[in-house]
Amino acid sequence: MTGQERHNLRVGLLFISPWIVGFLVLCAYPLVSSVYFSLCDYSVLSPAVFIGAQNYRDLAADEVFWTALYNTFFFAALAIPLGLLVSLSLAVLLNFEARGRGFFRTVFFLPSLVPMVCLAVLWQWMLNGELGLVNSTINPVLDVFNHALGTHWQAPNWLAEARYAKWGIIFTVLWGVGNAVVIFLAGLQDVPRHLYESADIDGASFWQKTLHITLPVISPVIYFNMIMGLIGSFQVFAVPYVMTGGGDGPGRSLLFLATYLYQNAFDYWNMGYACAIGVILFAIILLLTLFATKLSERHVYYAGK
Amino acid sequence: MARTNLFARILIYSALILAAIAFLAPFAWMVSTSLKPLNETMSLPPRWIPNEIHWENYPDAIREMRYFWRYAGNSLLLCLLSVVGTVASSALAAYGFSRIEWKGRDTVFVILLATMMIPFPVVMVPIYGLFKSLGWIGTFKPLWVPTFFAGAFNVFLLRQFFLGLPKDISEAARIDGCSEIGIFFRVILPLCKPALLVVALFQFLHTWNDFLGPLIYLTEQKDFTLALGLQSFQSQQGGTAWHHLMAASTLVVLPVIALFFFTQKSFIEGIATSGGKN
Amino acid sequence: MTAFRYCRFFFALCLLPAGLGLQQLSGAADGRTVIRYWDKWTGFEADAMRAVVDDFNASQDRIFVEFNSVSQIDRRLMLATAGGVPPDVAGIWAINLPVYSENNALTPLDKLARNAGINPDDYIPVFWKMCQYRDHLWALPATPSCNALIYNKKMFREAGLDPDKPPRSIAELEAFNEKLTRRSASGRLETIGHVPEEPGWWNGLWGYWFGGSMVEGDSRITATSPENVAAYRWVQSYPERFGADRLLALRDGFGNFASPQNPFFTGRVAMILQGSWIYNFIANYAPADFEWGVAPFPSNDPDHLRDVTIVECDLLVIPVGAKHPQEAFEFMRYVNTRGPMEKLCLGQRKFSPLQECSPTFFEAHPNPFIRTFLELAKSPNARPAPAVTTWGEYNADMKNAVTRIWTGAATAEEALADVQKRQQKNLDRRHERWHRSEPVLTKSWSEQ
Repeated sequence: MTGQERHNLRVGLLFISPWIVGFLVLCAYPLVSSVYFSLCDYSVLSPAVFIGAQNYRDLAADEVFWTALYNTFFFAALAIPLGLLVSLSLAVLLNFEARGRGFFRTVFFLPSLVPMVCLAVLWQWMLNGELGLVNSTINPVLDVFNHALGTHWQAPNWLAEARYAKWGIIFTVLWGVGNAVVIFLAGLQDVPRHLYESADIDGASFWQKTLHITLPVISPVIYFNMIMGLIGSFQVFAVPYVMTGGGDGPGRSLLFLATYLYQNAFDYWNMGYACAIGVILFAIILLLTLFATKLSERHVYYAGK
Repeated sequence: MARTNLFARILIYSALILAAIAFLAPFAWMVSTSLKPLNETMSLPPRWIPNEIHWENYPDAIREMRYFWRYAGNSLLLCLLSVVGTVASSALAAYGFSRIEWKGRDTVFVILLATMMIPFPVVMVPIYGLFKSLGWIGTFKPLWVPTFFAGAFNVFLLRQFFLGLPKDISEAARIDGCSEIGIFFRVILPLCKPALLVVALFQFLHTWNDFLGPLIYLTEQKDFTLALGLQSFQSQQGGTAWHHLMAASTLVVLPVIALFFFTQKSFIEGIATSGGKN
Repeated sequence: MTAFRYCRFFFALCLLPAGLGLQQLSGAADGRTVIRYWDKWTGFEADAMRAVVDDFNASQDRIFVEFNSVSQIDRRLMLATAGGVPPDVAGIWAINLPVYSENNALTPLDKLARNAGINPDDYIPVFWKMCQYRDHLWALPATPSCNALIYNKKMFREAGLDPDKPPRSIAELEAFNEKLTRRSASGRLETIGHVPEEPGWWNGLWGYWFGGSMVEGDSRITATSPENVAAYRWVQSYPERFGADRLLALRDGFGNFASPQNPFFTGRVAMILQGSWIYNFIANYAPADFEWGVAPFPSNDPDHLRDVTIVECDLLVIPVGAKHPQEAFEFMRYVNTRGPMEKLCLGQRKFSPLQECSPTFFEAHPNPFIRTFLELAKSPNARPAPAVTTWGEYNADMKNAVTRIWTGAATAEEALADVQKRQQKNLDRRHERWHRSEPVLTKSWSEQ
């Protein structure tokens, strides 16, 4: 190492030192101790006692944990693709040089500014079975069908029925996709015009252009939004927590991994068990991200590579 | 896609307008409910325009939340501290990750990116224990001190901006005998005001909206933030006084929306940058 | 760059209220020891407690109690105690007592109570017992309650039933139920006599009215005892008799409990299981001509099992790490003297946990049935929820079991068997923890 290199290393490390401290104290240490506590019986006010893999064995046999795991996957499996679909569609619509694009972009973006707690309170009211706006909109439409077809369809009481509760949460988070819309729109605007122009000369249709030009070019943006959605969806907490008043919804339909973790840590005095859930949650996100990255290497197109 | 025919145009506009209605309706519904008397929130079919406008729902909701102004003050104080902390620390770290060449920099940066994957619930218990042993539970410290240690996302964002600046400007300053810290303060930072603004805005929003942190660290009701205060108000109401809940929600959302309208351009650009050019 | 200026302006604005907020953080006190007291109360119940606190403060020149109403108190107290910044006194529910004390979160009060001359015989036995766990005293009672059958007399008359003869057995309840239930021509349920799910606040404890228990001793879960199976078969009979979809459709039209749309007030459900507080809800939300009666909720065998009720109690505790336990206890003791206690219970429309009660208490009490509730609480079959550390999870499982039974996802036997398996394991784990910590904890408790 030359003197200059050593100097640069010193200065560089000095500049990133706030991050290094933060990383060690607020990231590495908690992560390591989370793993350690997950091997302990720990109830905060008494010292942690090492019990080996007992917490993990208990988790494997705990059907409520499996319910939480199932709910989390169910939610993520719907919320991530639906979120991508909705935000991408809106961005594509905006990308047509329509008048009032700025206005529409603002409209789509605004809900993503709403704090989670407000979002939950507001949608709890929107989804109210009797008085909510959602059902007052759906029911007249269903009545028309019922009248015509002699059926007895009725809008569900979203948050009170185990079958529909997760859909209620999905609607709620879909309302906040504005962030992704803006990111997608920026991505779409970066697609080189000449690609479309030459496709136009070949007489390509809108769908052909979308499939062969737009999607491949913006695939890094899709990848980014997908990873963000993944990390966000697997730790969903505030919205179901507020909507259920800190509980887990009808028939545990709104019990997610983060909720169960919180309950074990702060309701049931099982911090060790909570840490074991946390370690599993982290492992899931890590594996899925790695998987998505592997997938992206094959399907994501990077300009200039 | 310059030329689209009339039919397509109508289709696109109607889709956009429909979507816009769907996105705006909840806001309108929130405000509409917040101005109704209680019995009218229960009437069927629901009406968009209340028979009488009940402005007093707002002062009533504020009174029922008891510490509303305290909550607002707490939220603002925390936002301020964490914005200062984030901007200061992230700018330093981002500079170290972009404007100085040092061995192993890119490897360390990959570690930084990887930390974005760690959800807060996973490290919640040990961090809670850490703050407990510091005697910080029940104070604001757990909520703002960590922001002085550069969060990964903000470092990432600022680094993108810093990389975009030409190398020559630093070189020129170096030749003039400027130290690295001098270059940082006198050359780079003034050029990056828009980027710093974006980071400040994001942090403001993050702190304003945060729920889980205040939920576990704040113990006294009067130390709550607005988001936590709203949740506590909601759980006390047991989901009955919708007009007051909606009035309170409107009051919590309003500052964020106002801030957005003042800073719209930077905001949108910042978000676009966060996702795109990496 | 204009945006940047706006922002500077905005943040400058932030400083203003933030600065004000900081100043308010240090509360004023006139040299007295300040006791921080958290309780769950809101509304008129908080007002009643505040009045007692004000009396205490007026009578004192050494201690000043600062009362704060805290939502979701069980969680907040846990977080504050675990974080080392608990209040000096807190009001918790009796069901939280075991988990708090066994995890070393409370101060044992044995010595304090002895020195203060508190006499256990002054209390209605069931409530005194609820203050204890593992042979130590952890709390003093605040306000108690119990539940009973509340019924709509007008609906009884309309169905040709004697409004002064409420059902005495489960069989009778169901016979009445048939008479009180009305269906539309298409078979839709319009009103119903009784349905366990409405409002379903004690769905985990129906076994009590069939002679069942949820635990035996402190270590055996008995969710699948024959009595409990009978109770939940009875619950299961509802969807079977009335149709799960029909019941769901009926419940869809039910309004919030605390609203005029409460189905009991609108005459859609004739009989419910509720606590003494129902009086306040009737006074606030029911129609002016609402006629109601109170009786013990019927059991399956009234000849041998009478006056069954679930008792609950709000307890005052001193969390571990409280700064002023002595002064905190002085306040608790004040609340537990007859005058203040009666003032509190009257204000909260409850009965007193003390054996002796001044005659004026009942005269002044707005709830015409308060004596009925008091008598029920003194019955030998008045029982609290089981005093085990895992009751929170156990109860959540029981509620889930009822949902499964209700939707036909499982039979009573299957659902209870699942609860039994999970909760026995859960309790075993807690016992392992207890056996590890017992030597240290019991020693330190006895010394305090």
